[in-house]
Amino acid sequence: MIRWKKITFWGLIASLGLGFSLAPLPARANSGAHKVFTLQAKRYAFWPAVLVVNPGDRVTIELIPQDVVHGLSIDNYDLNMTADPGQTTSLTFIAGQPGSYTMRCSVTCGAMHPFMIGRLQVGQNDLLWRAAGLALLAAVAGIFWRRV
Amino acid sequence: MKALQDAMPLIEKTSRLVGTSAERRLNLARLPWLEWWIKSRWPLLIVRSVTLAAFIFTILAGLVGSPVGSHNFAIIFVWIAWWTALKLLFIPLGGRSWCSVCPLPMPGEWLQAGGLISKAGNANGFGLRWPRRLRGYWLASGLFLLIGMFSAVTLTDARLTAWILLILLVSALALSLVFERRAFCSYLCPIGGFTGLYAKTAPLEVRVIHPAVCKTHSEKTCYLHCPWGIYPLAMRDSSQCGLCMECLRVCEYDNIALNLRPFGSDLAVSQPKTGLDETLLALVMLSSALSFSAVFTGPWGWLKSAAYAIGSPAWLAYSAAYLALSLLVLPGLYALAVWLSRNAGEIGKPLKRLIAEQAQPLLPLGLFTWIAFTIDFAFPKFSLILSVLSDPLGWGWDLFGTAGASIHPAILGAAPMLQVGAVLVGLFWSVNLGQRRVETQQANWRAALPVAAFSLLYSLLMLWLLVG
Amino acid sequence: MLREWLARLILVILLLATGLSLAAAWKARRAANVLYARMPENGGWTPSDLRATVGEPLTIRMTSDDVTHSFAVGQMDWPAVDIYPGEMSAVTLTFDRPGKYTFYCTRWCGVNHWRMRGTIQVSATEPEAPEKAEPPLYVQLGLDIDAEHSARFLPDRTPSAGRGAIMGASLPQKYASREYYLSHSPSEAWQDLRDESNLSMRSDAELWDLVAFAWSLQTTSDAIAAGEELYRPNCAACHGKTGGGNGVFAKELGDEAHSLDGHAIAAPAIFSDPENMLGASPALLHGKIVRGGMGTGMPYWGPIFTDEQVWALVSYLWTFQFNFDLEAKP
Repeated sequence: MIRWKKITFWGLIASLGLGFSLAPLPARANSGAHKVFTLQAKRYAFWPAVLVVNPGDRVTIELIPQDVVHGLSIDNYDLNMTADPGQTTSLTFIAGQPGSYTMRCSVTCGAMHPFMIGRLQVGQNDLLWRAAGLALLAAVAGIFWRRV
Repeated sequence: MKALQDAMPLIEKTSRLVGTSAERRLNLARLPWLEWWIKSRWPLLIVRSVTLAAFIFTILAGLVGSPVGSHNFAIIFVWIAWWTALKLLFIPLGGRSWCSVCPLPMPGEWLQAGGLISKAGNANGFGLRWPRRLRGYWLASGLFLLIGMFSAVTLTDARLTAWILLILLVSALALSLVFERRAFCSYLCPIGGFTGLYAKTAPLEVRVIHPAVCKTHSEKTCYLHCPWGIYPLAMRDSSQCGLCMECLRVCEYDNIALNLRPFGSDLAVSQPKTGLDETLLALVMLSSALSFSAVFTGPWGWLKSAAYAIGSPAWLAYSAAYLALSLLVLPGLYALAVWLSRNAGEIGKPLKRLIAEQAQPLLPLGLFTWIAFTIDFAFPKFSLILSVLSDPLGWGWDLFGTAGASIHPAILGAAPMLQVGAVLVGLFWSVNLGQRRVETQQANWRAALPVAAFSLLYSLLMLWLLVG
Repeated sequence: MLREWLARLILVILLLATGLSLAAAWKARRAANVLYARMPENGGWTPSDLRATVGEPLTIRMTSDDVTHSFAVGQMDWPAVDIYPGEMSAVTLTFDRPGKYTFYCTRWCGVNHWRMRGTIQVSATEPEAPEKAEPPLYVQLGLDIDAEHSARFLPDRTPSAGRGAIMGASLPQKYASREYYLSHSPSEAWQDLRDESNLSMRSDAELWDLVAFAWSLQTTSDAIAAGEELYRPNCAACHGKTGGGNGVFAKELGDEAHSLDGHAIAAPAIFSDPENMLGASPALLHGKIVRGGMGTGMPYWGPIFTDEQVWALVSYLWTFQFNFDLEAKP
């Protein structure tokens, strides 16, 4: 490749890379709605497994265990609750940054407890979109990064 | 020995082709502060004794300790601590380096050698050669698939983990008494298979320094004392070398080096001799990463229950789907990509050979996918490592005061980005490797695109599973 | 050769240290009286029979092998002790009176949770004359608590004790007695009131209010609150938070696969169903709670609740049918 073409090409790849990584993604306006979820917990799943909210929403989750004592904690959020079958507990929090956060059971409930997982989807999953864009760039860069 | 002597002319010719890169690379064994540690037998022996003792402790903890996995040393140290160290440190940085300290083959190797501090060798045992039919990576693929089918229970049941470790220990010992060298490690170890594959990407190698010296040396001491049955001069790649450095110690001419080398050096070797068995294992590892991500870190409870309920119809369906993905779907898609590449630019080679040759890019892809999966799987459980050190049996002890430890949230917060980073690195490396291989074959550059597309699609799917 | 023996020595020392330390730990563990809490499907309490002596403190160390459990002793005041999987809890009990005590799990650990019980045999230091136990009320009254008890008469609206209080003066004395309350169902009480000549001008609904008022005289708001405190952790999981027979285990209780002893199981009783409840006398309810369901999923609470607690529960159960708020306006 001619030198200036090379520089342009790699400059483009680099700026796209930075763009994908850092550019703010269009976000839906903060609705600030109050979303209430009844989360059933049974070994070893939550139902519904994926909760979808918008950033800034007030989220109330009522944990309803179906068989044994279960708990709920959400990665990146400082909250934790425990509930017994027949006695539900609720907690309320404000959804923060957009992304996909893992909900986990926080009380040992049997063998597969460490894998009792759900997801809290706040807005759109920025990280996944950026990663997908970067993956495409990585593949393109891999094709053209020629070193014999 | 005779077979080796007969093969000498071919070996020497090959070694000249392979090149004397060892002469250019940094030989760690000559570094003054490292030399004694490598050349003396004592450091390695001490480390191996410690890992063996820890292994026995792990088995006992699994058998008598609390059945609650998160409070049992066996589960936490095997599936979280050691697994993470293996995937994030031992393999990427040292290739098959874990094999040099692994306790599994040690009782057998000590028995074969006739001593703990003597040179490795074949003084005892029947010393039979491993059957030709069972060589290669076929067994390793099959064993890994078997493990995958039972993974949900194995990873959570302390007793089962302990029994599996015990069976592996006994098998390795039994095999050492019947077959020569490290037969278990080379052909049966479920870890050895993929560790060997990914070792080709790692920056450490053991190689001969001056091939000319070996030409005039008839005793071949290095070959006689290598527990893996390798003749160092003939080494094409590091996939079979367990980095025990016995050859380095016994060489009368001090002609073997422990080199630091660029990442992926073995993959850049022209005319790579990749067999179909390696290709299958590479694909099995890729499909297993997908499957394990879905089962263990996904939100699909029905899938976890199916994977856990061994013997039930649901489990049979899960196993069938897992095997289909590993043996039919992914290999089928990969073969399709290779076939497309053949049409695009590499006409003239048989499809079978292309399938084997084009598997090299699958190695960095698999290595980094497994790194990403390990981060997703293990990081949230790191606090358990600390707590289980203080209470290994779940009996309410607090030996070091860390029984109630919890991990710093910053580590957890970084995990998703680390996973994305790992997948991206693996994808870039894989596609680039495919491209370079096509270039050295003087084929049309478009021939690299189909497999690159395969890698891209795979990576997107992994990303969705990990951070979606 | 010396190096070889040194190497072997090091290895042997390491292995022995590992093996012996674990063996010692295991022995110590066996010597300690550890009580294993497991789901009934996995064996329940192991061991399930403990011994103690009057006046001597009994220390029990407990751990769970599967899910969250807890330990409490029936009919005693001691607070429950939670038992978490893989962690050790401990409790020290000192008994004043000899006898057979029942200990049980107080945190739901599956549909068979209530079967998770054991006994502590407390022996006396000096021989004591055994206490004579009274048979439960339903036995004294000769009630068949398994018989059909559908209410013959049903109210059109929720009877209110507040409205009944306004007419309170016209309530004949016998209906305000504890004896009457215990042995009659609300439906029977209503029928008796309907037959009273001096109440003949009252409407059906007004008479139901009087029944509610009569029932309210037999309890206090404290007792009802206590009953609710007992209902939530013990009964709601099957009978439902609102008494609808639709607790989280209700469906499972109709499933034969979960019956540990192969007996027929029945769906939990619906406390919000007037036909079911208004035909039951307090003695019958007391009997059902104390004796349990004879093979259905209904536990027998006799060894667990004191009599006072059972009557408090019965009072609470009536709140699913009656409005006991005496401040209510008509």
